Amino acid sequence: MQRKPLIRAVNISKTFGATKALSDVSFEFFSSEIFSLVGANGAGKSTFIKILCGYYPDYDGEIYIDDKLVHFNSPRDAYEAGIQVVHQSIEQGIVQNMSVAENLALEQIVSPEANFVYNQKNIEKEAIEIAKKMGIEHLDMKQNIQDITQSEKQMITIARALAKKPKLLILDEPTSSISDKEAEVLFETLYRLKDEGVSILYISHYLHEIKRISDRVGVIRDGKFGGLLQKPLHVSKIVNAMVGDIETSIPSDYDYDSKDKKVVLELKNLVIDRSSNPINIKLYEGEIAGLIGLIGAGKTELAETLFGIRVPISGEIIVNGESIDIKNISHAIKSGIHMVPENRAVNAILPDESIKNNITLPFLDYFSKKAILKKEAEIDNANRMINSMGIKCENYLSSIDSLSGGNQQKVVVARWLLMKHNIVILDEPFQGVDIKSRKDINAYLRESTKDSCVLLISSDIDELMDVTDKIIVMNKGRILHQEKTSQIDRDKLLGLITQE
Amino acid sequence: MEKFIAFAIKYGFLIVMAGSFLGFGLLESSFWSWSNMFSILLSVTIVGILAIGVTFTLIVDGFDLSIGSTAAICVMVSSYVMVVLNLNYMYAIIFALLAGFSIGLVNGLLIVKAKIPDLLATLGMMFLIQGLQLIPSAGMSIGTGMMLADGTEAEGEFAEKFLFLGQGRLFDLIPIPVIAFALLAIVAYFILQYTKWGRILYAIGGNEKAVKLAGVNVERYKIAAYVISGTIASLGGILLAARIGRGDVTSGGGLLLDAVAAALIGFAVLGVKKPNAFGTVVGVIFIGMLLNGLTMLSLPYYTQDFIKGLVLVAALIFTFGLSKSEI
Repeated sequence: MQRKPLIRAVNISKTFGATKALSDVSFEFFSSEIFSLVGANGAGKSTFIKILCGYYPDYDGEIYIDDKLVHFNSPRDAYEAGIQVVHQSIEQGIVQNMSVAENLALEQIVSPEANFVYNQKNIEKEAIEIAKKMGIEHLDMKQNIQDITQSEKQMITIARALAKKPKLLILDEPTSSISDKEAEVLFETLYRLKDEGVSILYISHYLHEIKRISDRVGVIRDGKFGGLLQKPLHVSKIVNAMVGDIETSIPSDYDYDSKDKKVVLELKNLVIDRSSNPINIKLYEGEIAGLIGLIGAGKTELAETLFGIRVPISGEIIVNGESIDIKNISHAIKSGIHMVPENRAVNAILPDESIKNNITLPFLDYFSKKAILKKEAEIDNANRMINSMGIKCENYLSSIDSLSGGNQQKVVVARWLLMKHNIVILDEPFQGVDIKSRKDINAYLRESTKDSCVLLISSDIDELMDVTDKIIVMNKGRILHQEKTSQIDRDKLLGLITQE
Repeated sequence: MEKFIAFAIKYGFLIVMAGSFLGFGLLESSFWSWSNMFSILLSVTIVGILAIGVTFTLIVDGFDLSIGSTAAICVMVSSYVMVVLNLNYMYAIIFALLAGFSIGLVNGLLIVKAKIPDLLATLGMMFLIQGLQLIPSAGMSIGTGMMLADGTEAEGEFAEKFLFLGQGRLFDLIPIPVIAFALLAIVAYFILQYTKWGRILYAIGGNEKAVKLAGVNVERYKIAAYVISGTIASLGGILLAARIGRGDVTSGGGLLLDAVAAALIGFAVLGVKKPNAFGTVVGVIFIGMLLNGLTMLSLPYYTQDFIKGLVLVAALIFTFGLSKSEI
């Protein structure tokens, strides 16, 4: 039987000034399905979503809901018509300083029809009703929103979206700020919603995730319709539709049989906090090691210890045969330990500043003489990194805000690969980064890691398997397992990561 | 249309400024005379100097509300040292600068170490200094011949050389305070544009966490910004004392708001949308010129604050209102 689509977007086009962001893109969404939308950064994915959500009233083409032609002039229109969106940033979707109940019932609190007098009992009753839709009514409603986990906050934003019984629920990068375990809970919820008839439009950079949960995958490529994939889905096919033929995995060329391997970084019985076990790790010259584990396994703590953000309780950090006592970040940098922190927007990017100023930030001592900046040297080095990492921009003076997420991440990585170093630690470097940019970053990491080593922290197994020479598994503050990537069995690795 | 708005944001302010310069001159030819030019500059120097100080704190995404009262207490300190203590004018300068430096340091420590929000910390400091400046002279202005607590008269007086700082002119034309203002502006501009210190101060204002994770001692830079602000304010105080020639308890009034307004108007100059030394200087001169020109056209003095406010709001619209709204 031919099912009738719930929502049809037909020949959607949109131009910004002289650039054509979208041309004639059509997709249909059915009830009870998870439809994923993929595309490289800048392909037009978010433009399409924003048109669907009413942010851009000015577009060509038609949108039909239940065969009725609609035109959204504001996000409010789209929302009234039953299109609900849960944005990428969880923090944007909640109100700090309010309780769980107030966040759940926010719509009722702020609506113009709300009672002038605030009735806490009613709000809580309302909140529980809304929470039931997501099966989170067990949460303590009186709790302050800041005291619950990221994943619970996300559940609250989704519950709120569902309260209005949307025809289409749009989830924009929902897994980018939650752990693997939390993602599993999210997927379970999505399956349940799907069974209840909700139509879900899912957007993510994690293709393995998309392959697992989607019924159909729509591809936007360079602003045009790039294909519609049905089950069975394959990651390679999705990638192919998105960006054409590119090989994403960078083959490990590390020679583990070589006799004269030099140890660059050695951790000897390093104890990070009272509850954790001593850590012993050796990283060799030219090696890219992956560090994987759940949130709370101690990955970030280990990285912070190496970078001088926290002080270890005992043990030794040995760099190139010399035991060093890292007192602070600037000391770590002087010892050749560099770190690309997670969450670039919060921890790395200088907004409104040029690419050049963003790249050279930690090394201004080197780029100045008696405090006066040597602009020529800065420009040369910024250009060198722009070229070798393939940062897409007008020139080194372009503001970092004008770049796509993937290119912003390249700038942040370039900052720490700019100068000679012994170790570079990358903490979740692929969050919100499109596949082409990942490939560029990985390729440059491989190319530039000669007499130094890389510690790549990620919670994405597939990403680590694509790029590393060996993988270290951390579980509850201890090193559980280390193995050459080429010999690793994915399922066994998953077991080790989640082992209780 | 978009191009026009971009052009307006970038050059609009300077065009308005050039336009009013031409307009005033055409309506009132004495406006263009050299002596009037310098009288405009002289009228804005103290505010201008304070505005450069507050620019440093604005750059690190902070704020210093205590600059006006810092300048005022430095007027009192230098007068007290010369008139009551009867010491050499060099001591007056040194003690006033030390006072400004210490106030800045305490501000910095309150904000960085005690983690008090900048507006609140410097507001508290503003009150504290306003009260403190009244104590040594029992609430009275300080001048030669004033009655002291022990019944004797104050015998010290303002040194000629000290007064020259505020009232003297180079080549009988250029006022000394204007020269001090110009030098300070050039040094501030150079530091902010061409040194790593300036780069880091701006970076801290953009994303403090990122700068910390780049190995920079952010706390030290932030404290330094307040120390610079306080010290510059004390310089303004010294020049003010030298200009009025007595320790006037009311001398600090109005300095703070005028200086902050100038620094904020500076955001709009060349459309940089950030605190910057050049913009601050342009902003302060613009206000001075406007008030001077309008006064020549017999605008009553009581409309001055209204004009300043109008300019500030217009500049803020240039800076924030006309920029592209983002979703």
